[in-house]
Amino acid sequence: MQTKIKTILAIFIVFVSATSCDNYLDLKPQDGIVREEFWKTKEDIQAAVIGIYSSLLNSPPGVAGDLPMSEYLFIYGELRGDMIAPGANVTEDERDMMNTNIVAANDLTSWSPFYRTINYCNTVIDLAPTVKDQDPTLSQDQLNHFLSEALAIRAYLYFTLARTFKDVPLKLTATLTDVDNFQLAATPQKEVFAQVIKDLKQAEAYAVESYGDQASNKGRITLYAIEAMLTDVYLWTDNYQEAVTAADKVINSNKFKLIQTGSSTWFNTVYAKGNSEESIFEFQYTTSNLGPFYNIFSLRPEFLASANALEDVFGIDFTNPNNKDIRGEYASIVPGSNQIYKFVGLTNDIRKELQTADTHWFVYRYTDVLLMKAEALAELNQGAEALKIIEDIRLKRKAIDMTAQVADPGNKYDVINYLMDERAREFAFEGKRWFDILRNARRNNYARMDILIDAAITNAPADQQQTIKAKLKDPNSHYLPINTYELYTNKALVQNPFYK
Amino acid sequence: MKRILRLPRLLRLTLLFFIVLAFQNCTEQKIKEGTDETVNITDYLRQNEQYSMFLEILDLTNYASFMNTYGTYTLFLPTNEAVKAYLKDVGASSLKEVPIEDLKNIAKLHILDQKINTTDFTDGKIATPSMYGQYLITGASNINGISSITVNKVSSIVASNIEVGNGVIHVIDKVMRIADKTLAKTIEDNPSLSLFTETLKATGWYDKLNIPINKDDKEKNYLSVLAQTNDVFKAAGFNSLADLKKRYSHLNDPMNPKDSLNLYISYRILPRLMYLADLAVTPALETMAPLEVISAKLDKETILLNEEVFNGVLEKGSSVNRDLSDVTASNGTLHLVNANFAIKKRLPAPVYFDFCDQPEFRKLTSIFRTAIGGRQSLAKSQFSDVTWDGTDVITYYKDPANGGTVGFGWHGDCLEINRLRDGNVQNIAFKTPVIIKGKYKVWISYRAQTTKVGLVKVFFDGKELPRQINMLEFVNTSSIPERVLESQGYKRHVSPTSSKMNCRLVGTIDVTTTARHTLTLQSQSAFSAQAWFDVAEFRPVDMDQLYPKFQAGGDGFAPIP
Repeated sequence: MQTKIKTILAIFIVFVSATSCDNYLDLKPQDGIVREEFWKTKEDIQAAVIGIYSSLLNSPPGVAGDLPMSEYLFIYGELRGDMIAPGANVTEDERDMMNTNIVAANDLTSWSPFYRTINYCNTVIDLAPTVKDQDPTLSQDQLNHFLSEALAIRAYLYFTLARTFKDVPLKLTATLTDVDNFQLAATPQKEVFAQVIKDLKQAEAYAVESYGDQASNKGRITLYAIEAMLTDVYLWTDNYQEAVTAADKVINSNKFKLIQTGSSTWFNTVYAKGNSEESIFEFQYTTSNLGPFYNIFSLRPEFLASANALEDVFGIDFTNPNNKDIRGEYASIVPGSNQIYKFVGLTNDIRKELQTADTHWFVYRYTDVLLMKAEALAELNQGAEALKIIEDIRLKRKAIDMTAQVADPGNKYDVINYLMDERAREFAFEGKRWFDILRNARRNNYARMDILIDAAITNAPADQQQTIKAKLKDPNSHYLPINTYELYTNKALVQNPFYK
Repeated sequence: MKRILRLPRLLRLTLLFFIVLAFQNCTEQKIKEGTDETVNITDYLRQNEQYSMFLEILDLTNYASFMNTYGTYTLFLPTNEAVKAYLKDVGASSLKEVPIEDLKNIAKLHILDQKINTTDFTDGKIATPSMYGQYLITGASNINGISSITVNKVSSIVASNIEVGNGVIHVIDKVMRIADKTLAKTIEDNPSLSLFTETLKATGWYDKLNIPINKDDKEKNYLSVLAQTNDVFKAAGFNSLADLKKRYSHLNDPMNPKDSLNLYISYRILPRLMYLADLAVTPALETMAPLEVISAKLDKETILLNEEVFNGVLEKGSSVNRDLSDVTASNGTLHLVNANFAIKKRLPAPVYFDFCDQPEFRKLTSIFRTAIGGRQSLAKSQFSDVTWDGTDVITYYKDPANGGTVGFGWHGDCLEINRLRDGNVQNIAFKTPVIIKGKYKVWISYRAQTTKVGLVKVFFDGKELPRQINMLEFVNTSSIPERVLESQGYKRHVSPTSSKMNCRLVGTIDVTTTARHTLTLQSQSAFSAQAWFDVAEFRPVDMDQLYPKFQAGGDGFAPIP
């Protein structure tokens, strides 16, 4: 009897243990895919690459507290410029940044969304080549195309970080496990720029000229987006001849042109609808994946155009209301209320609704390449050609005479001033202004510090102006501090000495 | 196991005892009794060697325990090097040699009983005075390309916003010193201000500027002086006190407050503690000269005094010398100006204030005073010179000249206020253009309605004017001569006259200061339609109250018949 029971028990245990080893002891996430099961086919790569783009639009699910990438780009590119004023719903951190009153505890100095997307890019760059062995239908060309997209986006993000924070940690490999080294020291700005150029060069070699449809051509990285980025980096690193060469590759492709229609149609085509012939690379917000703009510019305005932006930047013809720059009234700014209209308008007269406010974020437009080329030409002492580009754009945008300047082509100082003003009109609120100011001010060992100081005191509160001016004389103050949290978690980082 | 069981009973018991003991030892719990381990100021100083000397000051003055109590303090903490430099300055070898009173004052100067982060700093004073009573001024300076935030001009902040349990600490590289000289002494000690000092003495103001602040007096009468150097005097043609007396002293008695030289000086003394940052944000500065104000404005970086446009003519003002100003004295501040300025004698001149002439409306170029016109509403937050109770908007309304609803008004436009009443728009206050001091009659013109509006009270600088406007009342178009109407407080303010408009004399005012003033409109009932206001006229009492008339629908004046 005893043995029988024991035998039955033994059989039972063997039975139970043999079956139990199967599923429920196996720890795999229920709502995701592990790496070993991913990276098998070219569709997987495609999904990962689209994931990169989608992380540029809004924070991925499960991530709370970060702003969308486009809002960071707006904040970094505009708040310290001279065209923004605080709106009724401005936050303390935003106001401090506008008044050059930044401390390391300011939440807006968090760079985590940038590194998150950089890691997505790194993952594609590291792991996509391994798919080649598993999926015979993946051609080398297709693989290269995917790599060019990841490389270019990574380069653009590092470029933005280096322009914003100066020296930043440069991580070029994917962070796949917890044992990776997270204590990474910052790389000097110069080396980051060099890496950006290197990446873009490689991306250029792999690049796609056309994806076959307009939305992909403007929403994904093409050869022309890469060339635009290259032009930009070359301007920051003072390689003007290369900048002209890169810009010419875009211009000579004949795929882009300035749209010449009525003011309202132009606005509707270029901004409200987006993906126009003037566009090179845009963040593709849709009605099902809306951008942050309606909220921050219209519904609960955090930012307004500065009080004199309409008058000083675009000019107002007080005698003839019909004589106006198509980029000014009801394109960039709502006159009177000074709201920023570019991202919330449908036409010159009609606004978008909350649910339909899907205006894209414009990373590069064709005029950017043209004006960057003009800047390079000016620096190469070819002022006459630079002025020709400016005049052509002014003509097509119906810029009013009041904003025309008589610049001596031989005088670099004049030409750059004119160019800066034209860029202010053309790219109002597109996240370019502060970087334009900084790039031109810092050239030749801060020979044009005046640009930066003038811009800063234009909108400075009267009782803080002198402090702001004195602060900005220190070049370190032109870059944001490393956020306190990052310093706490990464002991290898050293704070920017200005933020003591 | 069997082995243990085989042990003698006593040993087994001992073993058990030890095992139990061991377990009990291991489970001892450490209970954290505090919720916060942040130290307070004094403890923070004790933990950080590099601040031992300031801690010594606190210990010597018995402030150490007090700085460890809970509260919200700001401490400007000098490093040891800074304290050593201070000792060298006062010629003491150790802190014990410094008189205890001095140490107390120094310590109090470095402490504020309010938590102030560097993000709250401006170009001027910190709103809370130090415990000593003297205000600290903040700013920033750039030395060899490196910028730092500064306190009291000389001390740079080397580490900022260190959070401690009872406040915040900013570490500074130099001990701040108490301003012990009065304004009079500060001015006298500056050789380039010798003529100014002489004039102060001749007018008796020197003694008034030499009175220290009475700490017990709640009305701390700080003063600010706008002085000018000998060179500035020279540029204006004054080389000696005699020159000044000759030019200004019309009573030959400079000590008399009514003498113009005395007024010349009192016009430069502001009865308030005003740093440049305060000047930059205060449009009209009150002075010690009775009822005379100095206007101040910021043009890019320059603070300009008395720069005004009068009747379309720009009068150049005097700029303030930034580098030499903001000198703190024990009883106020001293600023230097770059050009001579004096009280301007102006005769009252008429001011025609079109309610629509707001900078915000002017930007609406597609409608503002255009031939076709149109309407646009703006919210309160958008205006710099208009404010009101309630959350509704006000509207710019322009019709073609001599047509439509408001096209008969001056410029063919009116300010439209829909529902001038409690909760919508009420007590709407306009900042007028500069009005020169004198007596004026105030006329308000408007577009009348037959129904749903009512009476409006008018206030000038908060004082109610005797007559109300009846928005239901149309202009009198009968053959009664206009002079008769005028005597009854009515007129036809535009030419050619329109039956739709009306103009009402609301009262006579005495404008005491040449400055911008406030005109307020208050509805007396719940208007349920639009009220349209055209112009507020301030005509000097001795001027013709009827002519010139405004051009109906046009921008100028009608020809005088």
